Amino acid sequence: MTISRIALIFLLSFSTVAVAAQPFVYREFDLFEQYEPYVSGDLKLSGSYEYWKDPANLDYRIAGNPDENWKLNWKFMDPPFNQAVHGGHFALDRGEDLFGQLNIKGRFATCLGVKGGGKSTSKLAGLRAGYPRWRDDLKRVAGLEEVIEHCANKQGRVLQSGSYDNSAVSIYLASFSNGMPIAIDVARAGPMKESFERGRKLFHLKAGAFNFACSSCHSHNIGRRLRGNIITTPYGDAAHYPVYKTQYMLQSLHLRFVECNLDTRTQSLLPGSRPYTDLEVFMTALSNGYPVTVPAERDW
Amino acid sequence: MRLGSFFILSIFLAAPAWSVDPPSDASVRGGKTMEPKIIVNSGRLEWVPHKRELGAWPTLSYQDRRATPEPQRAAMTAPTNGDAARGKSLAWTWCIACHTLPGDEWPGTVGSPMWHYKQYNHADALVYQQIFDPRVFNPHTVMPAYGTFGLLADQDIRDLVAYLQSIE
Ligand code: HEC
Repeated sequence: MTISRIALIFLLSFSTVAVAAQPFVYREFDLFEQYEPYVSGDLKLSGSYEYWKDPANLDYRIAGNPDENWKLNWKFMDPPFNQAVHGGHFALDRGEDLFGQLNIKGRFATCLGVKGGGKSTSKLAGLRAGYPRWRDDLKRVAGLEEVIEHCANKQGRVLQSGSYDNSAVSIYLASFSNGMPIAIDVARAGPMKESFERGRKLFHLKAGAFNFACSSCHSHNIGRRLRGNIITTPYGDAAHYPVYKTQYMLQSLHLRFVECNLDTRTQSLLPGSRPYTDLEVFMTALSNGYPVTVPAERDW
Repeated sequence: MRLGSFFILSIFLAAPAWSVDPPSDASVRGGKTMEPKIIVNSGRLEWVPHKRELGAWPTLSYQDRRATPEPQRAAMTAPTNGDAARGKSLAWTWCIACHTLPGDEWPGTVGSPMWHYKQYNHADALVYQQIFDPRVFNPHTVMPAYGTFGLLADQDIRDLVAYLQSIE
């Protein structure tokens, strides 16, 4: 059976150690694509980058055409193109309050990774653009929301990853990086690169009742229609999270993964889980070079 | 009749979704698939039961050691005996996201359009296999394997075959 041979080759070439240690389990992978850990890599995947690379100068004619607007990768719902006041702005205010409470002594900022810590918010610039990152204290790669939860916890506050308050703090922190390009290094050998590679593999791993991988749609069917929805590229998708969904909720990237899984009839995982963090690293690397843009809205 | 379907339903509901312990990082509580609810101005997520039980199929968890159901050949016995009207309503539920069906204003374009499907003169058994498990023809297909993954029953697939073969 050809397909088991294909899966076997994948397992042999990508995780020889795992095969040696554990009995073979038949899992399927979608065809692997090459990705560049930089946002312009989309030019080799969907080419739509051409239309959304400059968030301040989107073509409003494309934005107004429902058959074409997928080419803008929904960036017309980001600031500065989208000037509407929405729930993301309220979350930003809430995040400012919470941050003020948590950072009275400046220790919250230190814990988040601000050099020298302290109470000055000017040092928060660039913080969001450098997450996920390796954390010595956690001994693993972690996203900003996981670290917010961890650092709040040290002060006896519960801010679960994915909760409204956690995402509110995350948006507030991200607002100091607005306009700054995402910059995580997944090229240098080390835990970030390993996480990126695991995320890339997971992106192609088929799962759930429909046996879909992320890439089934987002690499191999970009621009095609799933009824009313047109499928977009995975590049440049991590720069606007946490996002305000027009179905009235604030959503972190990991909660988006939960929604993706459930929508495709796959048992979802918990926010902060290792696979979701690896996918976050993968997707953030595909946004490298693209400016942080919060607070943004999305329909999907 | 009512009792009969109730009986079948209760077997289905009683069947354990998890043949093994769920991975500790899956959103499962008491064997049930849970979904998050975001509470405004709260530091906690609330987890509520999801509308579907999804525990029967492999996840993205590294702890999940269950296998993907392998591609399966299905030998359909003749006659097809399908109900095209029922097949149409099944198609509007299960297939329309990807395939364009006559009468739809939001055509899916991931799969091939089903207009004039009758003209291809495909053998019923071939169409049945494509729905039961298309991986037999194309190992990299995105189309779900409705039979192998237990999504549709034999009669459902026969009805779908009858519907597709009837599209002028
Ligand atoms: C996720 C998208 C998707 C869904 C949902 C889907 N299909 Fe498909 N289907 C495809 C694709 C893509 C092809 C092209 C062949 C391939 O890749 O296997 C295809 C091919 C087919 C074919 C063969 C086409 C031909 O030219 O003869 C049939 C028949 C078919 N699908 C029937 C169905 C039926 C019936 C359903 C619902 C029970 C369904 N499909 C649901 C994606 C889908």
